[in-house]
Amino acid sequence: MSYLDVVGKSHPQIDGMEKAMGKTRFVSDLSLPKMLYGRTLRSPYPHAKIKNIDVSRAESLPGVKAVVTYADTPGIKYGPRSEDWTIFAADRARFCGDEVAAVAAVDEDTAEEALELIKVEYEELPWVTDPLEAMKEDAFLLYDDKPRNIAAEYKIAAGDVDRALDESYYVYRDRYYTNEVYQAYLEPMGAVADVDSNGRITMYAGTQVPSMMRLTYAKALGLPLEAIRVIVPDYGGAFGAKMENNVHLVAAVLARKAGRPVKLINTRHDDFIAGNPRVPMYIDIALGVTRDGLLTGKDVTVIGGAGARMVYAQIIVGTACYRVDSLYRFKNVRAKGYTIYTNTVPTSCFRGFGNSQMTFVLESSLDMIADELKMDPAELRMKNGIGANETSVHGWRITSNGLRDCVAKATEAANWKEKRGKKTPLRGIGLSCCNHVSGNRAFFPEFDGSGGIVRVGRDGRIVVYHGESDMGQGQKTVYAQIVAERLGVPLDMINVATVDTDISPFGFGSFATRGTLMGGNGVLAAAEEAFKLLAEVAAELFEASPQDIQCRNGAFFVKGAPEKTIPFKDVAEKASLARFGAPLVAVGSYKPPTEYPDAVTKYGNVSPAYPFGCHIAEVEVDPDTGQVTVTNFVAAHDVGRAINPMATEGQIQGGVAQGLGWTVMENMVFEKGRINNPDFLDYLIPTSMDVPNITPILVEPVEPNGPYGAKGIGEPALNPAMSAITNALYNAIGVRFKELPVAPETVLAELRKRR
Amino acid sequence: MEPGKDVEMRIPIQLKVNGEDHSLRVKPNRTLSDVLREDLELTGTKKGCGSGKCGSCTVLMNGRAVNSCLILAPQADGAEILTIEGLAERQPHPLQRAFVEKGAIQCGYCTPGMILTAKALLDENSNPNEGEIKKAIAGNMCRCTGYNKIVEAIRSCASSESE
Repeated sequence: MSYLDVVGKSHPQIDGMEKAMGKTRFVSDLSLPKMLYGRTLRSPYPHAKIKNIDVSRAESLPGVKAVVTYADTPGIKYGPRSEDWTIFAADRARFCGDEVAAVAAVDEDTAEEALELIKVEYEELPWVTDPLEAMKEDAFLLYDDKPRNIAAEYKIAAGDVDRALDESYYVYRDRYYTNEVYQAYLEPMGAVADVDSNGRITMYAGTQVPSMMRLTYAKALGLPLEAIRVIVPDYGGAFGAKMENNVHLVAAVLARKAGRPVKLINTRHDDFIAGNPRVPMYIDIALGVTRDGLLTGKDVTVIGGAGARMVYAQIIVGTACYRVDSLYRFKNVRAKGYTIYTNTVPTSCFRGFGNSQMTFVLESSLDMIADELKMDPAELRMKNGIGANETSVHGWRITSNGLRDCVAKATEAANWKEKRGKKTPLRGIGLSCCNHVSGNRAFFPEFDGSGGIVRVGRDGRIVVYHGESDMGQGQKTVYAQIVAERLGVPLDMINVATVDTDISPFGFGSFATRGTLMGGNGVLAAAEEAFKLLAEVAAELFEASPQDIQCRNGAFFVKGAPEKTIPFKDVAEKASLARFGAPLVAVGSYKPPTEYPDAVTKYGNVSPAYPFGCHIAEVEVDPDTGQVTVTNFVAAHDVGRAINPMATEGQIQGGVAQGLGWTVMENMVFEKGRINNPDFLDYLIPTSMDVPNITPILVEPVEPNGPYGAKGIGEPALNPAMSAITNALYNAIGVRFKELPVAPETVLAELRKRR
Repeated sequence: MEPGKDVEMRIPIQLKVNGEDHSLRVKPNRTLSDVLREDLELTGTKKGCGSGKCGSCTVLMNGRAVNSCLILAPQADGAEILTIEGLAERQPHPLQRAFVEKGAIQCGYCTPGMILTAKALLDENSNPNEGEIKKAIAGNMCRCTGYNKIVEAIRSCASSESE
């Protein structure tokens, strides 16, 4: 790979102009003939028995074509990793927002009016919203078979933690809390569901996991897998939230009953109260260090809130327990995780997936240790960071590793040494590192990996089929670049097909920062096959050997004789004729060199490659209001190789902005069992006025297991941001903030204490 | 007319949208954003919150950037509306080109509203500085980009604006 033509270039997104012109049809823009509009009736109580539901008045409202409740479903229990979901509450609503009934009508106004005509008799039950309260012996149970509302427990240990901590020069111990935050993608969740004359469902949904969610939904609807087709239009963001959610199933149930397509898009209010927000966590940490600053041992307890039913919270708590262990050269670690049911909206994946919560805690703790040892926090990372080609305490085989480069480049760009040396009142600078995965074998026993299809038509038009998901992060363009590079054609000859489970490969989906590495390797494998088939045709035309055929800039030639070329289109035409019209379709698969971890020890290499990052934040505190302004930010990321540098920078800046929001302004406030700020007026996300210049630095060690050397960026872009900011606050005003968010009132109170 | 069904009150309105005249009869509670998206099938204008906070529904009404989800359709009677679909003429508008070329678009949901707000800014101030740009787009939420590349894209259209 001495020279790349397409990969490594900052191509504008291939669907960018469509989006800029307003031509892109998002899920909520879709319209089908005879389509109805759906609305969901949700429980107003955090916990209540459902005594009776009377839908008769709603059903007779003119314009209403279907009203559904639990009675209209097969009554099957299901869930992505559990069996505690039903489509609509059966006899109990377990959170304020729980689906109780739904309506499909000729327009939204009628659907909304119909909701008000549905009479539900509730009998309120005791409720609990805090995981610590929910775990108490006398807490009211959400599920009778889950004592103390413990949905799941997680345990992991390696080495001898107690001894390591005992022998440490210093052990830092503290408790942290990371709050529940909302992904706040701009397009609310929803789907358009259609049913054909055989009862086969087509679901148009903005989903990160089109193939995987079919498995769960088929079970929920009591249908064979082939009875559901998922098509993924462009959709307005996800950040982890858009995986399995009852909103899709409600649309399907309505469509089946009405016999017409149904569009059900959450109102923003519904999306706040019944989306899939972040798992809130209480984290206790004990972290030991030698006098020279070598980390000795780490002992953590994580208590995470699952909400009223399990989406992925237990895996997220597990991830929080141990993913960071492979960031440093830990040898002695122990973690216990508890995932707790609470009468709140079910929590789930949000960029970082437990690793962001724990990174906040670990990197804050390292800062406290650096302070105790009077050591430069950057030096502490350099001293302890895991290296390239090392195996971590849990058997993670790190291949490429740009962690130290990230620290070096970030500190240089941020003028770290100089700024740490100065002591400007109310101003500070802080640093944090992170690790992550690029795919996670532990997620699903059956499978990890990817497949791709490349189709070359007689006209030379190339179509790439993948099964992952572009939620705006730019997956389509990256896959197109990879295929264009391998085939040797300009980018504009590549088209990326809409993901349609009838045609596309089974893609696990876009999460665990797996899209570029896994999906990229899948389409690359397909492109390899396509090239081989084309090379055979070209070889005949050149009267040469297929091994000597090359292609660049859309023209084939024989190695060593580049002046004699045949255009790609001519070879494609010849290929079609040679097949008597059958298209040239190449299929490829990628089997990652990973292991499903041991059930007890969790030991095993779960990812083909591990990305790393280092963030440096600068803050300024207003002494009169307690407001924290992030004035500057540097984010260095080891991405293996940036397939598209501009897109990678965009991801970094977006991740940092989300981290900033989480740290200083975002909070889902629960009061009396309800979210009391389910709207953008009271749930603040960063605007252009809140986000400073963010300088992204790309570190590219070239990952041997990645497509053209790439690994992922999505989640690492966020992970270190929160502690970078709170570490900067510690530097600024000497206060260690251990709870997110850091509200102005809190800062002000601390400043006043110090006066 | 179905027996027993009330006659719905509809209000006649005239809208000039992207240069085209429309005569419509709308229910009094319909918003401009719904009329644009559903009646006129101009789905480029997005709905992100329905309560005027996110800015995805931004259109230009008589030259000013407004949240179309907060405008009742009858209030727009007689107005000239510019939606994202009307921005390009024979070629994409420089703002559209800049957003694409500078990587200022990720999921694209905030993009139409963001571009129209930028247009309103540049129409009023053809050479805004970074601070002025940030202030102008403060009512347009973006969750994907962190705003940096959006500000760069708008800045790149400053002073070379020929409209």
